[in-house]
Amino acid sequence: MKQEKFEPKLLAFVCNWCAYGAADLAGVSRLQYPANVRLLRVMCSATVSPHHILRAVQSGADGILVAG
Amino acid sequence: MTLTELESLSGEAGDFTVTLRQSPRYVDMSKCIGCGVCAEKCPKKVADAYNVGLAKRKAIYVQYSQTVPLKYAIDQDACIYFKKGTCKACEKHCPSGAIKLDDAEQLLTRRVGAVVLAAGFQPFNPKNLGGYGYGRYPGVVTSLEFERVLSASGPFGGHLVRPADKAEPKRIAWLQCVGSRDTKAGSHSYCSGVCCMYSIKQAVIAKEHAGDDLETAIFFMDMRTYGKDFDRYYEKARQSGVRFIRSRIHSLMQPDPETGQQKISYLDESGASHQEAFDLVVLSIGLEAPEGFRSLAEKLGVELDRHGFASAASFAPVASSRPGIYVCGALAGPKDIPYSVMEASAAAGAAASELSDQRFTLVQKKTYLPERNVAQEPPRIGVFICNCGTNIGGTIKVPEVAEYARSLPHVVHVEENLYTCSQDTQDRMSEIIAEKGLNRVVVAACSPRTHEPLFQETMNNASLNKYLFEMANIRNQDSWVHAQEPEVATEKAKDLVRMAVTKSALLAPLLEAELPVTQAALVIGGGAAGMTAALNLARQGYPVHLVEKQDVLGGAARRLLHTYKGEDVAGFLEGLAREVQADPKITVHLNTTIAGVQGFIGNFKTELQTNGSSQSIEHGVAVLATGAREYRPQEYLYGDHPAVMTQLELDELLRQNDKRLEEIDNVAFIQCVGSRDDNHPYCSKVCCTHSVKTALELKRRRPEANVMVLYRDLRTYGPREDLYQAAREQGVLFVRYAQQEKPVVASQDGRLNLSFVDPILGRPVAMNLDLLCLAAAIESHQDQQLAQMFRVPLDGDGWFLEAHQKLRPVDFANDGIFLCGMAHYPKPLEESLAQAQAAAARAAAILGKGNIKVSGLVSRIAEELCCGCQICVNVCPYQAISFHEGRQVALVNEALCKGCGACAAACPCEAPVLMGFNNRQLLAQIRSAL
Repeated sequence: MKQEKFEPKLLAFVCNWCAYGAADLAGVSRLQYPANVRLLRVMCSATVSPHHILRAVQSGADGILVAG
Repeated sequence: MTLTELESLSGEAGDFTVTLRQSPRYVDMSKCIGCGVCAEKCPKKVADAYNVGLAKRKAIYVQYSQTVPLKYAIDQDACIYFKKGTCKACEKHCPSGAIKLDDAEQLLTRRVGAVVLAAGFQPFNPKNLGGYGYGRYPGVVTSLEFERVLSASGPFGGHLVRPADKAEPKRIAWLQCVGSRDTKAGSHSYCSGVCCMYSIKQAVIAKEHAGDDLETAIFFMDMRTYGKDFDRYYEKARQSGVRFIRSRIHSLMQPDPETGQQKISYLDESGASHQEAFDLVVLSIGLEAPEGFRSLAEKLGVELDRHGFASAASFAPVASSRPGIYVCGALAGPKDIPYSVMEASAAAGAAASELSDQRFTLVQKKTYLPERNVAQEPPRIGVFICNCGTNIGGTIKVPEVAEYARSLPHVVHVEENLYTCSQDTQDRMSEIIAEKGLNRVVVAACSPRTHEPLFQETMNNASLNKYLFEMANIRNQDSWVHAQEPEVATEKAKDLVRMAVTKSALLAPLLEAELPVTQAALVIGGGAAGMTAALNLARQGYPVHLVEKQDVLGGAARRLLHTYKGEDVAGFLEGLAREVQADPKITVHLNTTIAGVQGFIGNFKTELQTNGSSQSIEHGVAVLATGAREYRPQEYLYGDHPAVMTQLELDELLRQNDKRLEEIDNVAFIQCVGSRDDNHPYCSKVCCTHSVKTALELKRRRPEANVMVLYRDLRTYGPREDLYQAAREQGVLFVRYAQQEKPVVASQDGRLNLSFVDPILGRPVAMNLDLLCLAAAIESHQDQQLAQMFRVPLDGDGWFLEAHQKLRPVDFANDGIFLCGMAHYPKPLEESLAQAQAAAARAAAILGKGNIKVSGLVSRIAEELCCGCQICVNVCPYQAISFHEGRQVALVNEALCKGCGACAAACPCEAPVLMGFNNRQLLAQIRSAL
């Protein structure tokens, strides 16, 4: 049986004022990182509720990051 | 105006004409998109001054990645084209045609009412002091170089190495006072004021980077951690293993040729000699006036102090010697960030109060068309995908992303742009919105943090609500970070566009409420800071209520004799109080306290209590200037023996020319009485300078008297060091004591007896005293009640806690309320006055607006869903939610709401809805992301 390499799907909730800005700066600095993560901008990490996390898991996320 | 220098100035305060010399950038700022292709292609490498020469940059460059504005510039001295006439690689490769090699220097003339000098400092160059081997020994670096080594954006990515050979140091030493507190030629006699704190910070961060086995030692004379929370940081550093060795290192020996290690020989406090080897030695260099400032000052007719900094009087701390010209920051003497920021606001406020009749006369107001009502329309989404030259298009297959976007629901228009942000695309976007009847717009380009306002402006111009806009960040968070993987970057771009389109279909227009601002200020505290703030606001044209709980204006400063520069405090306070009382715009409320506060920024209503009767006033802003008090010592026979007194009590004797002072032969000062101990674990900041100043005064009046100062660390920071030096020259004795071995004071047959352990002899010494002055701590009023009324925090020591200790030193997190003077932290008079001017400037900026626009991104509570549990009231960090007892529901005050969404996340019934980020939108976006 052919084994496919596992590629996780990650979702990151990022605060507009810090983590989102840091992700922008990573771009300006041309830091390279794997493309498995999708960033979702929120105005504050306080916006993120357990519902959002559960919805992400239900939708197939293998990992979730809340950065703020 | 970057790359610009002041050439000349004429005229007078209120009407200056300045000539500015603008050097050529050789890059058209309106065309440069900051993509960096030019620097990538430029063949010429030069030392990178921003990284203190530890890294290379190109001849076309930005100083660092966060540069504002993010526009490249050509370093003419390095550029090959300017030397040899050929190359032009940048011009060839620039995707937006921004290179302008024929750019020329320009002389510009401007008319201005006031000038603020904020040219900063330059770091001391230790090459002037040969003994440290800087530039010759590979293991010796300056603190600024070390700062870049530690920085994640520095030459080594934050990896802790010795720059010369990239070896990882195991032992690092910091040598304090390099170029400071040193009367040798080539050095400076003043204290640079910031080095103790930055060295501790560097040691702590170095340990964080390299692990706990990194050995760190700081060699110092006096540890000057006198700022808010600085002593706590010092203690924490000590506990985490940073060693502090009280010994000044005057020179270094040749390094070990094998290991590059530097041996340091030093004497400890008992006089024993030691030798230790370190892999890296960091010279804690001081601050000095920038090169060229002397000639600029001459041109401007601005006086300098003896150290070359701009001089300012204590009572007008940001005014230069020439009317209309203000100074702030380290140009006016070495200082740290919070105080520089404070002075910057103060200088802006001082300039504004002189020019208040001209305010807004040069402002042009923009008008917008009415917004189209799209509420009943099905979504019609337009997607604009940017190539950003080749920044996006060079990695991501933009046509493929565009094709994909066309397949998404509700999308009726997709186009690719070379630069979506260019003006012609904006015009085109407006046309397309009208032509295709778009009611939502998605731009897939760079970051909303930099470009959202630009596109929202275009939405407004096209009669659409600006909240019907969404961005997909396919540059900073895609093409730039996955440059080697075009396939996955393209797939990610599609996902990001899909997420944005999904959310945009669910967007609704949002309202930005406008609230009027009551054009009046409340200043609480009638001391030096409060009066200064009130007067400043009144001069800017705003009515002020000045509230003082006592029956007289002046506060704690009334008990001070002189500033450290020798200026008479009483005379100044009298003049200030007279001006305040004569100002028709200021209403002084004496014997008055605050009984209650309602409202929020722009709309406060405060209940004043005066001698039992109450009065309600309305105001748009509030300034808290409630001061602090001198601690009443419990130690050293204070209160039991008449010859023991505090600094303020001794000031009073000096003011009265008390007879007792004519007969004293032996005087001692004990420092840190009630400071830096378990009860007050902070430095009171003012007492060292105060004691040294008073000791000098006693010596002046009675040179034959023996005057001794017992201290733990002598903290005459900045130019106050000159006083310390003068006191030693005058024969004042300074003796250190350790916290564990405090001096002992006893009374024998009515005579005061002092005994202490001499640190050099290591033996107890006893002497009789005629007068003992205790440098008692400054303590806060612990005013919980006032803090609660204004919903602002106090820190652990009872000082009011500002919004940000470094960057917002006079603001509270709660908008419209400001802070100044000793209510913030103990500080000398000149710093209180600067802070008061800063608070007034920040407050005036709000009053000047007339009304406040509240962001549309706020929380709304659906009353029918609210169960009245009040969880949201408790979680709201801005106290924006209140509970309506009658209707049993929670209500959001939009003016206080910052749109964090904590209420929406915490509510069990999903009653709060965060506008623009509601659950429907977020959940849809989550699903579409995966």
